[in-house]
Amino acid sequence: MSNTPQPAPVAEERIELKARNVSFEWEKTPLHWIPGDPFTGHTINVLHLLLPAGERWFVHVYKQVLPYITDDRLREDVIGFIGQEAMHSAAHDDVLPHLKKLGLDPTPYTAQVDWLFEKLLGDRTLPPGRARQWWLMERVATIAAIEHYTAFLGNWILNAETLDRRGADPMMLDLLRWHGAEEVEHRSVAFELFMHVDGGYRRRVRTWATAFTALAFLWQRGARFFMDNDPTPTVGKASLGAFYRAGKKGMLPSTPSMLKSIPRYLSRTYHPSQEGSTAQAVAYLASSPGANGGR
Amino acid sequence: MRRATTFALAAGAALLTRRALRRRIAASPLWPMPALEEPVSGRGARRSTITLKLTVTERTEPAEGVVRLRLEALDGSELPSWEPGAHLDLVLPSGLVRQYSLCGDPADRASYTVATRLIEDGRGGSREVHEQLQEAVELSVRGPRNRFPLVAGTSYVFVAGGIGITPILPMLTAVEASGADWRLLYGGRSRATMPFLDEIEKLGGRVTVVPEDECGLPDLASFLTNSPSGAAVYCCGPDPLMDAVTAALGPGRTPHLERFAPGAAPAGAAFEVELRRSGRTLAVPADKSLLAAVREELPGVSYSCEQGFCGTCQQRVLEGEIDHRDELLTDAERDNSMLICVSRCLGKKLVLDL
Repeated sequence: MSNTPQPAPVAEERIELKARNVSFEWEKTPLHWIPGDPFTGHTINVLHLLLPAGERWFVHVYKQVLPYITDDRLREDVIGFIGQEAMHSAAHDDVLPHLKKLGLDPTPYTAQVDWLFEKLLGDRTLPPGRARQWWLMERVATIAAIEHYTAFLGNWILNAETLDRRGADPMMLDLLRWHGAEEVEHRSVAFELFMHVDGGYRRRVRTWATAFTALAFLWQRGARFFMDNDPTPTVGKASLGAFYRAGKKGMLPSTPSMLKSIPRYLSRTYHPSQEGSTAQAVAYLASSPGANGGR
Repeated sequence: MRRATTFALAAGAALLTRRALRRRIAASPLWPMPALEEPVSGRGARRSTITLKLTVTERTEPAEGVVRLRLEALDGSELPSWEPGAHLDLVLPSGLVRQYSLCGDPADRASYTVATRLIEDGRGGSREVHEQLQEAVELSVRGPRNRFPLVAGTSYVFVAGGIGITPILPMLTAVEASGADWRLLYGGRSRATMPFLDEIEKLGGRVTVVPEDECGLPDLASFLTNSPSGAAVYCCGPDPLMDAVTAALGPGRTPHLERFAPGAAPAGAAFEVELRRSGRTLAVPADKSLLAAVREELPGVSYSCEQGFCGTCQQRVLEGEIDHRDELLTDAERDNSMLICVSRCLGKKLVLDL
């Protein structure tokens, strides 16, 4: 047993997790909220397509796991996590009508994402007992894998100074950074929950592979959807090359850094506290206009 | 030779497949994923995280000490719809947040109308509205939300005290248009301080106006006993008025009340809750939330923010009249569900699907 590598949390940074009642104004945010770079804006906009249904699904699954948690501290964390995710889902959902108003109707795409999370990944009609528990654990593990990426992206957006320099819309940046900061703040919860209720390494690898493939598929598809349906005729097409180049400039996460994050999650000593900084996240949240009542 | 043929066939098949796929995707770019039959995302139903930036486009004084503001979007675009009884959260220049009932026409999608009375010894919100919200001032607004919805019925009784007429005014128009039977008792200190008297008196003889300086305090008991016993009772005004209406109605009936100041509402009365699926009935004391009471029985029940904004503790209500105190749920959701962390019961008992 002593030879088996164990997840190694770094120095204790634990703080109480609490949902924040956020508020944003979208009237002044243009469709191309990064001036002159619709591709980067739309690639980030894919978040608004995936997260409303996705994070609602997190909440739905975690509500069912609560009775399995025997550690009171972890239960408190999961309860805080659920409220934060519910607010993330609502905040991204509230951007969608604004996109529609600007001439880019996202609902054909989000209706499919709704199907994915509510039907394909929903509760299904399973007999109570082993089958139902297996499916619940599979989804808990999938959420842990997705949260590895949300924490990665959260840490990236908190440090993406290039976006400020390029004049990105402050309201959209505040939404992304409030969200990113809360993802960094609660980055350990999903993984610790998975380790607490199951923790199987094969399941971790299997669900990581599913989550990674699905995310890559949905993301490129979402970026193409936005670029193809953008009412401005000159936006061009989405491409992998553009993604790579934007990453190099610091406008999007860089491709090498994304590739490097893969083996980290699959390492047997992985613990989310090894990535990102709680102090930086909390500092941003204290100053975020949206998280402080829109002031 | 055979290997070359196999290779050529495989390559040909791959090319054909690729062409077919591309055609398929070109014909319907969102192939192959199906859509959810009743999509949820992007409908803008709750709008719980949205702040609107509005401008004061008109400021009038419909009565002594009362200002009425007309608010419009900066770019003149259409505003979210609302139903009678709804209120707006105004984020005042100092950062104070105050709730004001919408008193305009719900069919007017270009503007919102609110009216406020200056309260000399109040908490500062009304003074700020009166002094700072001049024409052309910009302000942030959240909502509209409705904690005081008009339930469908054939007969209504309204009691308004002073500025409490604001949420009732659009209700009168709606009820009149639906052809329902209604009557209104409208009290105030004097005719000069009572807003919207002209509009209301135009509605006809079912209105009793009681200015205190002419007629003294309204006789609630006789007004209520003379109204149909099955009528829905709506009351908005100062706390003593609402308490008097509740008392005059007696134990069997509960009025619909709109309280202006959040937090001014008392913690709430004690009531009983039945958890139908668990087959248990619990007492919820006045100083305890419904969530806290349920958690003692069912520790696994989900919740998070405990302030009525995250929506995690939403539960289906099978029976009983709900006292909604959250800012999140839509009118449709309020019909048969509640947030158990803040909302309570208007009557003696609630039945939850738990």
